[in-house]
Amino acid sequence: MKHKYSIGRIATVLCLMAFLAQAQDKAKKGTITIGLAYHQLNNDLPVIKVSAKTRKNKKFQPVERVVINLFFNDETSQGFMGRVETNSNGAASLSLPVRFKAQFDSLFSFKFIGTLIQNDSFEDQSTELEISKAKVELNLEDIDSVRMIHAKVLAFQDTGWVAQPETEIKLVVRRLMSDLAATEEETFTTDKNGEASAEFSLSIPGDVQGNVTIGAKIDDHETYGSLVSTKTTKWGVPLDPDNSFAKTFAKRSLWATRDKTPLWLLIFPNLIIVTVWGIIFYLIFQISRIKKLGRTNDTV
Amino acid sequence: MSQLTNSSKITTDLLPQKFGTGGRIWTGILVVLCLVGLYGYYRQVTVGLVVTNMRDYASWGIYISNFVFFVAISLVGSLITAIFRLASVEWRTPLTRIAEIIAVSAILFASIIIIVDMGRPERFTHLFLYGRLQSPIMWDVIVITTYLTISVLFLYFPLLPDLPILIKNSKDGSVRQKFYKFIGSFWKGTAAQFRISENALRIISVMIIPVALAIHTVTSWLFATTYRPGWDSTNFGAYFVSGAFLVGAGGVVVAMYVFRKAYKFEAYITEKHFDNMSKIVVLLALVYLYFNINEYLVPAFKMKKAEEHHLRSLFVGDFARLFWTAIVMSMIVPIVVLLFPKGRKPFPAFVMGLFVVVGAWFKRYLIVTPTMLSPFLPMYDVPDSYKQYFPSWEEWAITTGSLAGTLLIITIFTRLFPIIPIHETIEEMEHIKHEKV
Repeated sequence: MKHKYSIGRIATVLCLMAFLAQAQDKAKKGTITIGLAYHQLNNDLPVIKVSAKTRKNKKFQPVERVVINLFFNDETSQGFMGRVETNSNGAASLSLPVRFKAQFDSLFSFKFIGTLIQNDSFEDQSTELEISKAKVELNLEDIDSVRMIHAKVLAFQDTGWVAQPETEIKLVVRRLMSDLAATEEETFTTDKNGEASAEFSLSIPGDVQGNVTIGAKIDDHETYGSLVSTKTTKWGVPLDPDNSFAKTFAKRSLWATRDKTPLWLLIFPNLIIVTVWGIIFYLIFQISRIKKLGRTNDTV
Repeated sequence: MSQLTNSSKITTDLLPQKFGTGGRIWTGILVVLCLVGLYGYYRQVTVGLVVTNMRDYASWGIYISNFVFFVAISLVGSLITAIFRLASVEWRTPLTRIAEIIAVSAILFASIIIIVDMGRPERFTHLFLYGRLQSPIMWDVIVITTYLTISVLFLYFPLLPDLPILIKNSKDGSVRQKFYKFIGSFWKGTAAQFRISENALRIISVMIIPVALAIHTVTSWLFATTYRPGWDSTNFGAYFVSGAFLVGAGGVVVAMYVFRKAYKFEAYITEKHFDNMSKIVVLLALVYLYFNINEYLVPAFKMKKAEEHHLRSLFVGDFARLFWTAIVMSMIVPIVVLLFPKGRKPFPAFVMGLFVVVGAWFKRYLIVTPTMLSPFLPMYDVPDSYKQYFPSWEEWAITTGSLAGTLLIITIFTRLFPIIPIHETIEEMEHIKHEKV
């Protein structure tokens, strides 16, 4: 009886230890902060940008390789947009799949949900982002060499698209690495018609035809997210392509392609190669001569 | 030498002998090392160059230093066979074939190891199909191919008079006899055949010297034409060639001792040979030391900012122990020991030869790696693994396998052919006998 009692105690202790270990494991898991951002370009389907960070040593650090599930409106299988994995900067992105287009077009506002579940290092986490649908209309005017940029912000409401006054908007020229302010002022606020206009007087290089891309953008707005509308126009200075590099390579030089080898480098080494290999073939021919002599000797 | 008047005794002594237990163990070890190296290469080909520890900065590692070592030691063929032949050095006879087989096997593995260093080895043929003559690497490909061909010819022509002896002394109808017949049954030893052969050997002796100098000079240019600390030198060609002659001579001394012991060649490879070769090693070590002083003292005196990191890493930094060991081991100790007649006896000369060869291998490593880790622009925002280099096990396995492969070729050659030319030795003895009469 005493024996049975001790087995029971041991089993209880073991169970308790297992439970404590599990609890400790759970306690060890860190907290993750998931951020969602809404980006829409030229009224196309939006892109959801995800960021994941955690607090370590009193500093936020990006978390890489965490898998986050994204949902559109409902955290159900119908609303499942897809799954993303963060990169070394703790960032990932996903476009709203085309199957949601009809739903997206009909709604005034919607929400995006990002969830992290069953992660070994972090506790389960869920974040929501609510957006009211809006758009930016961009018009470019060139009258008597006066170039004007007109931008209008509209929000989708019961009555249709309604102009939005008092909204901050930037007028920019889109360049390779970032956006350049298209006007002297960096930001504009839309008037009662939801419009902002400014004269474009920059003299900047475009492509060979002078094309530049002008944009009007709302940056990280708390209701509308980030919206960009762009148009390409010939307002830039046509680029005179620098062909000097190609010209240099077209000449015979040490750094040109093999068909442009400098003549001296073709003549002298090839002369040496032909001479040396000529002698080598002569020596091989000598072996055949020796062979012939041996055969003649055999027949004699 | 006086006892060696009987040609049949010479033939019996010098014919290739079956491996004893020691020979079989030696060959077995070499085969195992080669197989391990092959497995390492299999991993490198299937997984990629990522199995090596070469990264963005140290993109040339142990393979390239091993390549330079092979090219260096192969120069011995031109030193012993060609220069000694042209200078009518009479005592060279027992050493010529040793030197030539070292040269052939080393240059063969130099070509192989350079393919090993390639990320896409299946594109090797592109070097010939799309090579640019502007690139020093292309020059190296051309010169190595040329030197390998000439070295094989230099090995083959003197072998011809020995082949009838080998055919005669091998089992009738055996595979080995068929092989001997295939490569030399046509040699009848007629005056006309000798005349052609002698003429060919004279041509090769003259031609192989500039080609040998070119091969190592061009190898040095792979470095010197690159603007990097430690390589940006006009001295590099001569520096490399002098080092190559030294390691080649050291290699021959080691091989002389091993063959002498293994095949009881005391009557053929005499103390005189060790004495003479040791003196040559001293001379070459002094020349190489002179070039080393030039290479390091002058930049160290100026200590240009860009070169400082490289020089300090060698003199007092991470590579200091290896650097000073290599200098002392491969130059200073051999010079001191071999200056004394007792040091030129077979065993001490063999030990010094080993010092020279091992020191030379590490010296090549020191020429390649520290420079790669001392770029002109400081390493910034790179992973820690980029900032240092130590070969991975795959790199060690492949390198050791290639060294074992070189020794395996020499071993198999020794099993098939006389390592000391039989016909030439008999002729020499006859000549001495006639002179005495």
